[in-house]
Amino acid sequence: MNCREVSNLLPLFLDGELEPRQMRSVAMHSMRCPACELEVKEMERLQELVGSAVRQRVAEMDLSGVWSAVEQRIGDIRPSWVRRLRARWEELQADLDMRLPAFAAVAAVAALALAWYAQLPDVTQPIESRQIASHDPALEIQRLDTTSPSFSFFRDPESDTSVVWLNYEEGLALESQP
Amino acid sequence: VTYLRPALVGALVTAFAAPLAAAAQSVQSLEGPTKAVQVRVGAIIASNSGTWLDHRVAAMHPRFHTLFPYSSYRLIGEKRQWVPWGRQVRLNISNSRYVLVVPRELKNSRVSMRVQLMDDKRAIVDTILSLKDQGTFLVGGAPQPEGVLILSIGASTLP
Repeated sequence: MNCREVSNLLPLFLDGELEPRQMRSVAMHSMRCPACELEVKEMERLQELVGSAVRQRVAEMDLSGVWSAVEQRIGDIRPSWVRRLRARWEELQADLDMRLPAFAAVAAVAALALAWYAQLPDVTQPIESRQIASHDPALEIQRLDTTSPSFSFFRDPESDTSVVWLNYEEGLALESQP
Repeated sequence: VTYLRPALVGALVTAFAAPLAAAAQSVQSLEGPTKAVQVRVGAIIASNSGTWLDHRVAAMHPRFHTLFPYSSYRLIGEKRQWVPWGRQVRLNISNSRYVLVVPRELKNSRVSMRVQLMDDKRAIVDTILSLKDQGTFLVGGAPQPEGVLILSIGASTLP
């Protein structure tokens, strides 16, 4: 390799962009050739000067807000509704995979509780409880709770029928019969 | 699918358990009168508008019209059902009003039962009584929009 070839390759040599074999040839030639060695040193010094100037300039720059500005710009870029929908669907699928068994169990328990509650009579409404001492051979009333103000109890012997009459209206009250 | 499987099994068990239990009870109710009782419930509206006696009411009770001071009697619902002891019979009267009869046991030739007249979930009448086997009794007086409600309730352990 002669001086001219080395001179052409020096910028690439200093940047380390030559193939290993060329790097080795340039280095060997520069060690033996004072002129080329001087050129290498000058180029190294020039590179160092440029590098230090750039580093100094960069050091003077305030880069603290760069990433926040980048993130803000990224946030401002609104993806298409298809992409948003797909992302939301994937999130939901992941959530459902984790929570669906729990939801199903809770729903089943709630349905059972609701069915059980729906069959319960409402006992929170106060209704009057009265004991009836009936001597009817056909009907014996142990307990009678009713919202009516009063009631009558009688028996029709001809038809062998017992009757409980709730007197909600005074005018319609039936007379109690023994 | 792996996560869904236990949930599906649970839902299927929940969905089919109640109907299967009801079907089993219905089969039991057909086994005979010793394990079941026939409950009869009728709902009649009595009023003084007109003088009409529903022939089904007359068939249900020959002296019905002589027991109460009304001129018109109309049958609005009737049910006869064999049920196991402890199982309720429900007769709907209106959208919110219904009757529940639960036969409890046969003791001394009397059928013990609980009778409830419900308005939505509120009990207008809630009574526990013992009725002579094959007997009938009447509960009346609860106001209805068209008149007064009279319930005819009977029970029989004999076919």
